[in-house]
Amino acid sequence: MLLDDQIRRNRWKSWALFAGFFVIYAAIGAAVSVAVAGWEVHGNLVVFAIFAAVAILVVTFTLFMGDDMAVAVAGGRRIQDRREAPELWDAVETMSLAAGIDTPRIYVSEDRSPNAFAAGRSHAQALVCANRGLLERLDKEELEGVIAHEISHVRNLDVRLMTYAAVLAGSIALLSEFVLRGAIFSGDDDSPAGAIGLVVVVLAAVLAPIAALIIQLAISRRREFLADASAADLTRYPQGLASALRQISAAQVRPAHDRNAIAHLYIVPPRLFKEKSAGLFSTHPPVSERLARLDGLAGGQLHVHRPRARTAATQELLGAAE
Amino acid sequence: MTVVIIVIAALVAIIVIWGLATYNRLVRLSVSAEEGESEIDVQLKRRHDLIPNLVETVKGYAGHERQTLERVTEARGAAISAQGPRDRAAAEGELSQALGRLLAVAESYPDLKANQNFLELQRELTATEDRIQAARRFYNTQVEALNTKIQSLPSRIVAGMGNFREREFFELEDRADAEVPSVAF
Repeated sequence: MLLDDQIRRNRWKSWALFAGFFVIYAAIGAAVSVAVAGWEVHGNLVVFAIFAAVAILVVTFTLFMGDDMAVAVAGGRRIQDRREAPELWDAVETMSLAAGIDTPRIYVSEDRSPNAFAAGRSHAQALVCANRGLLERLDKEELEGVIAHEISHVRNLDVRLMTYAAVLAGSIALLSEFVLRGAIFSGDDDSPAGAIGLVVVVLAAVLAPIAALIIQLAISRRREFLADASAADLTRYPQGLASALRQISAAQVRPAHDRNAIAHLYIVPPRLFKEKSAGLFSTHPPVSERLARLDGLAGGQLHVHRPRARTAATQELLGAAE
Repeated sequence: MTVVIIVIAALVAIIVIWGLATYNRLVRLSVSAEEGESEIDVQLKRRHDLIPNLVETVKGYAGHERQTLERVTEARGAAISAQGPRDRAAAEGELSQALGRLLAVAESYPDLKANQNFLELQRELTATEDRIQAARRFYNTQVEALNTKIQSLPSRIVAGMGNFREREFFELEDRADAEVPSVAF
């Protein structure tokens, strides 16, 4: 079964991600320890031990707090009561039912750019975060389409991998910046190892963001297609998601903050990230391609969505009576 | 000679492992179908619980629409007492129709349409309707996977030994369902 395969692949990829993180971290740690302590074994071990301790801390933190981190970066506020965001609440509850998972925690970010993402480490420990701009723009069917896409990510355990990637990539980026500054401001070049060390440190600092990028690329574009298809299956209405995707990608509103670390979590990555390149380095397939696939699912009827005043269910009730 | 024994032993081991995995998969699917069914029950009960209130509210404004109101009450009673997926689905379909008629009738009573209580009930009813459909979709997806496993070879053999039985779909009138045939990848 396709979904089972995806879930299994996501499980082992999550662990591979941690392994990769340790390797990158160890490389930076080794470079720094050589730079700081030269080739002296004792000093190297101490610096390296510090790095290892930090790495373990980061991983533990990521495992248990990754989703909270992501939603904090996005500026999400937890919705505890349905009345605060009734449409979102209903959409999340309904789509979780259709997917057969527990209802995730619901967050709203006061960002005017229309977007949404999901994060978490398991079916029971997940969250969905929608931007205010999304809630303002979309009608019920469109919102359900977006939420169904996010719920599919949760069900397929994409969220685990994507959340871990977001936090680990963020921490590597932070570390490399830290190391780079350290290298620039520590001008003590008395030891012969100093010069070599500096080169290694700079190299590490340059390599780290690339490594982080690779981690982001480990997140395949295929899972976006799969989530779109699952969303169409959950809502039985691909037109809703298609219309939402068109609106999200056409929106000219820039996100309130630079959120590159979690860009790949969003249903359509924020513009800042997307403008760089649509090819090799993008985590998401182009929206046009996603629309084309959804059109295939809708039997070429993708353009038919019109915002409806009444909900589908009411219409059904009324239709039955007429 | 020993080679033959090893090969046979390996084959037996592979078959046993496959059999256990298939058995576990069947158990998982049965359990989630079971869960799906009880979720449908929860949502249907929610709808049943909303109806007396709705009927009372409508009565206050449109008391002489007795026939329509009685039909809803009757359909609710029939839906509650129905047994088995097929009969229940049919009874629930009747109830949906009766409710649809009631809401259509309500359209011609401006006072009723302005009533906060009525609006709230109508909204709740719509949300519940959505959830019933969602729960039903999940259940049917699980049942489809389960039935396919039970019918197809070679998992059929394990299903026979483990006494797994096919389940009935929960079919409600849902026009939206006709639009997406399946997720093909």
